Amino acid sequence: MTNAGITCNHLNHLLLYGLLSVAFPLQGQDLLHQDTIRIKEVVINSRQIDSEFPGFRKTSIDPGLHAKLNSFSLAELLSVNSHSYIKSYGPGGLATASLRGTGASHTGVSWNGINIGNPMPGQTDFSLITAGLIDEVRISMGGASLDIGHGGIGGIINLETKPVWDRQTSVTINPSAGSFGNISVLTGLVAGNHSFTSVTKTHYSYGANNYPYLNTVIAPEPVRETRTNSRFLRKDLMQEFYLKRKRDVYSARFWYNSADRNLPGSILIQSGAAGEKQIDESLRGMLSFDSERDIGTGSITGAWVFNRLDYYNPRASIESMNTSNSFIIKGEFETKVIQGTSLKMMLNEELNVINSNNYKTSATGSILSLTLIAGRKAGSRLGTTLLVRETMDNKKLLIPDFSAGIEFRLFPTEEHFIRSGFSRTSKIPSMNDRYWYPGGNRNLKNEYAYMFDLGYRTNQKPAQSLRITSEAGLFRNIIRDMIQWRPGEFSYWTADNLNRVNTSGFESSVSLVYSQNTTGVKINAGYTYTRAVPAGSRTETQTANQLMYVPVNQANGSVMAEYRMFYCVWMANYTGRRYITVDNSGYLPGYALNSIILGARIHLRDNQFDAAFRIGNVFNSSYESIAYHPQPGRSYNLSLLYKFNKIRK
Amino acid sequence: MKRLHLVLLTSLVALSCERIPQNPLITDPEESFITGDGVFILNEGNFTWGNGTISYYSYDSSKIYNDVFFRINERPLGDVPNSMVIHNEFAYIVVNNSGKIEVVRKNSLESVKGITGLISPRNIAVIDNSKAYVTSLFSDSLIVLDLKKNSVSGYINLRRSSESIVISGKKAFVANWYGGDEVLVINTDLDEVIDSIKVGREPESMVIDKNYTLWVLCNGGWARDYYAELVGINTQTFEIIKKYVFTSILDSPSNLSLNGSGDTLYYLEKGVRRMYINEQELPSDVFIKQRGYLAYKLGINPVNGDIFITNAVDYRQNGFVYIFNSRGDSLKAFRTGIIPGSMCFKVQPGSDIE
Repeated sequence: MTNAGITCNHLNHLLLYGLLSVAFPLQGQDLLHQDTIRIKEVVINSRQIDSEFPGFRKTSIDPGLHAKLNSFSLAELLSVNSHSYIKSYGPGGLATASLRGTGASHTGVSWNGINIGNPMPGQTDFSLITAGLIDEVRISMGGASLDIGHGGIGGIINLETKPVWDRQTSVTINPSAGSFGNISVLTGLVAGNHSFTSVTKTHYSYGANNYPYLNTVIAPEPVRETRTNSRFLRKDLMQEFYLKRKRDVYSARFWYNSADRNLPGSILIQSGAAGEKQIDESLRGMLSFDSERDIGTGSITGAWVFNRLDYYNPRASIESMNTSNSFIIKGEFETKVIQGTSLKMMLNEELNVINSNNYKTSATGSILSLTLIAGRKAGSRLGTTLLVRETMDNKKLLIPDFSAGIEFRLFPTEEHFIRSGFSRTSKIPSMNDRYWYPGGNRNLKNEYAYMFDLGYRTNQKPAQSLRITSEAGLFRNIIRDMIQWRPGEFSYWTADNLNRVNTSGFESSVSLVYSQNTTGVKINAGYTYTRAVPAGSRTETQTANQLMYVPVNQANGSVMAEYRMFYCVWMANYTGRRYITVDNSGYLPGYALNSIILGARIHLRDNQFDAAFRIGNVFNSSYESIAYHPQPGRSYNLSLLYKFNKIRK
Repeated sequence: MKRLHLVLLTSLVALSCERIPQNPLITDPEESFITGDGVFILNEGNFTWGNGTISYYSYDSSKIYNDVFFRINERPLGDVPNSMVIHNEFAYIVVNNSGKIEVVRKNSLESVKGITGLISPRNIAVIDNSKAYVTSLFSDSLIVLDLKKNSVSGYINLRRSSESIVISGKKAFVANWYGGDEVLVINTDLDEVIDSIKVGREPESMVIDKNYTLWVLCNGGWARDYYAELVGINTQTFEIIKKYVFTSILDSPSNLSLNGSGDTLYYLEKGVRRMYINEQELPSDVFIKQRGYLAYKLGINPVNGDIFITNAVDYRQNGFVYIFNSRGDSLKAFRTGIIPGSMCFKVQPGSDIE
């Protein structure tokens, strides 16, 4: 054991840390998250650098918070426990995520590594993704996204759903109801044995969303108004089958999602008067084969992603009908060349077919990429990675993307690491940028960025019942050929590679876990400082002005405490000032939001009952994420969970 | 190690403290600037962003004052102010995507009343002291306003959208711009449509010259499937008496304007074009060239003939207004709000600016 670079004492600590980090967050109310986490079998040869992609930053949403916010959208979950900035039109309304000061279209979204972003706008509406359907949310910041498959300049949010190889039957039902006519029901059914698992999840939510707000802009005196035309209805059905044969796993996954939403509009416009409405529908199907052999591991996935987005504006006589079909094939193979050194090859082909009454004809686009990754984890102190990717956009070969990263353990027996990474990544123009009629530009080049990462992280256990992990890092992105729509010579706008933007900043997070007998406390805190400035373009001079809707300061924190059957969660997030004009003369003031969850959980043999009461926006803060789109004040929500879980011997 | 964590936690708290926001609105003490002669410039702002503002260029001080509505009323004007007209002591600001008309005092811009609930109002024409018509982009009716009560008194069903409007005697001429090719004639006593005149594709702007000829500029539509046209119509007989077709399918003229004496037309087409009303062909030369920008809107001072051109730059940052004299000589340039659009002249004949 000692020769392997790890002592029994250390191993015990590591196991304890692992257990604590996994077990504590699972306390309290959980729907489809398993009581027991099954992790891949690993053989510990030495205490190597444990980073998935040395040199770069990958984080996960805290599973404990994730479980507590099961019935909420991913947008709400990300806003309380990530470094992403969520720009939202209100509950149920369009919500986009931006990472490290980049645009919404620079944040990719994948489901088990397969791109599920809508290829038309090139961005994802996070209000349409229900947190409870996802087992784990992994965020790859900046250059860390390159190993996912398609990469994103800001990063990629990967939604993971995983099999459970137990002979178990689990039934879960989780209804909840709250203020402003909001109700939701989540259900789950897991059945299987050691070689076959079926997981079924459904979700239904409806919100009248008729919350009051103070309109201070429509008349000389403030007017108390109620949000109208803001109803939403969302439905999901996710079905997954997993079959294990020796060292092979076959999986079939399907995810149907639909949303029918009214769009309330700006309060400067008479609320709801336009009668805007949007219908979204998506169907994602995925077949995968994973195999583990002596020579290495490999997988092949075929996926079909259908998206429908219909927008109606009766006042403006607009009926915008859009459908996209994406066909994706992804293959991966990884092998160990020598001890501590691995090589991975990834081939990804994505074919998008668009039918839209906003395009002159139907449009297709093909993106083929080949990625080679070499990783070396030498001894217990050094981890390095080198990645090169060549992309063919339709029939045009692009300048290759790359990344190089290094991670180093500062002291042989301590968990202090420094990391540094440099990368180039690019983003293919969206189909709307290329084919929207009028104004789409087929000659657009890809946007690209050079990105630099420097960070430090530590994982310590100052006392038997206490564990602290923290991370701090700096980043800098130099983004070029950013696509912007500009006025053309006629009465319409056209897309062009105009913008140049530099972003830089600081990210830090701290997590503290305390567990003693029947008492447990977990504290998370995170802070992000972001500067995003124009670097000069044909239409914009280089200035020190912060880009619009990029907050300089962002922070979030949460405290989860549990005593016997009772638990309490406090969540807070702060979003700083966001400028709403290019010259920074106008801005939205910063705001802090606080939420509390109080709950109790009872286990009776195979049955679990959990009741939770949530107060959102406790201090009734008045705030806007987007100018003149008021967000709700204080709200209440009651959630009940029943779970039957039987594991057969 | 505990110290290290303490430092990290402390830095988190310290760095998340933001300076207390200062009020970005500094009230200009020089509030009398609006009383003299000048020009209101309506900065449209971005559609749905609610950042429309008004700038005022004062001839007295030769300065521009931005965001004047907010300064005086301490609230935003609204979403996409599109047009403005002055009548007696009041000014009427049509705020398109807010669906309202702000009634303000013309010499202070102090809000008197908001007329709300209008569907996409665009342009306003005062008929007399008690009545005005408002065109609408997304409804099929013309809105009738009661100027005594500052309220909607009725609608005239046009069965089509409306844009530009001009008045001649007891007749109002209303252009069906959006996808249309007609000018409707309305009897202002009866509030009824009495005739329609077929013109070119998408009649965008109109003026009536000193000979009572109605000039209609049809821009040909954005899809460039039709040639643009400039059409002259007899306002008594409604006959087309002049018609000039632009030579290139790519020509997309806009902003037809008239000088104060009613004998010279101006419009934008790759710069400012000038045409005397009795000329027999379209001007081939550019009167005022665009120098590295795209002219967005055009206004002619009815008293001294000054030519105002706005530049929306990239439609995101604050724009510019350029002022030229009637000979086309550059006089001044000022920074405005975002997307400076149409202009409303508050000038008195016989004043110093002549």
